[in-house]
Amino acid sequence: MKSSLVGQAVILAALALLPAAGEAIYFRDKISWRSAIAPSEMLTVEQARELGDTAIWVDARPDDDFANDHVPGAISLNEDRWNELLPQFLAVWAPGKKVVLYCSSLSCNASREVARRLRKEAQLSDVFVLEGGWEAWLKKNR
Amino acid sequence: MKQTSDIEAHSPAATGVSNVELARNVRSSGFWRVLSRILDFVLAGLFIYAGALKAIDPVQFANDIDNYKLLPWSLSVAVAFYLPWLEILCALGLVFRFLYRGALAVLTASIVVFTFATIAAKVRGLDITCGCFGHASQHWSFPSHLVTNLGILAGLLFLFFKATTRNSPQKAV
Repeated sequence: MKSSLVGQAVILAALALLPAAGEAIYFRDKISWRSAIAPSEMLTVEQARELGDTAIWVDARPDDDFANDHVPGAISLNEDRWNELLPQFLAVWAPGKKVVLYCSSLSCNASREVARRLRKEAQLSDVFVLEGGWEAWLKKNR
Repeated sequence: MKQTSDIEAHSPAATGVSNVELARNVRSSGFWRVLSRILDFVLAGLFIYAGALKAIDPVQFANDIDNYKLLPWSLSVAVAFYLPWLEILCALGLVFRFLYRGALAVLTASIVVFTFATIAAKVRGLDITCGCFGHASQHWSFPSHLVTNLGILAGLLFLFFKATTRNSPQKAV
C-alpha cells in the first residue's frame, strides 16, 4: 500500500465507522445519547405516579434542598451522608418495591450516582431515575 | 541495465564494505526485523484485547469516558462506540501489515491522548478508572497507567522509526 501516512490513517478511521455504527444501532435501547441513564432505567413523572404505593421516592439532592421542599413521602439519600442515610432507606425498602430517585433537574448527576450505588452496593434491581428530576415533578404538580 | 548498475553501485567493492561486515549488517537487520515483528504482534494483541473489552460493554466505556469530565455525554457515547473498533482495526493493520504506517500513526496518537487525559484527570484530582482495559484496569494506580501507556508509546515509536527507515531510499539496501 503506497498511500501516504495521512491517507492510510483516514482510510482506517473511515473503516472503523462501519462496525461502530452497527454497534450503536444494536445498543440503541441500552444507552441514551442525551443522558447517561439508559432509557429502561428512567421514568417520567406520569410513569412514576402510576407506580402508586409500590414506589419509594428517594431525594438524592443535598440536605438543604430536601429540607426546603421535596416530593411528599420521599426520603433523603444523598452521597454526602451515604453511610448514615443508607440504613434509614433500607429500613423503608421491601422486596417488590420500586425505587424512584430524583435530583434537581435533567442535567444533575446525583440521582444517577445514587442509583448506581444502590444497584452495586445494596444489590437492588428496581431502581429508576425520574426524568427531569425535581424541576419536572414541580412542573407537573403546580 | 539500470538494475545491474544499482547492484554494482552497492556491491562490497563499490561501497568499501567488507564481506564480513556485510554479513554482520544483514544478520543485525534480520534481528531488528524479527524484533519489530514480535513487537507488532505484542502491541496488536494488547490493542485487540483492550478494544474487544470496550466494544463488548460500550455503556461502561461511555461512563468511563464521562468520568474524565472532558467531553459532553453524547460525545462520550460516540467515542465509546467508535474508539474500540478503531483500535481493533489498527491492531489488525499491524498484524497483517495492512495500512501499516497509518495504523501506527493512529495508535500512537491515541495513546498520547490517553496519557494526557490520565495526567489531566490526576491533576484535577479526579479519582477515576481509566477504562483502558475494561474491568481489568479498574484498580490500576496512576503510576501503573502511566508506565503502561509510556511502554506502549515507546514500542509504537520504535515500530514507526523502523517502518520509516525501512521505506527510506537511503536504507533500501
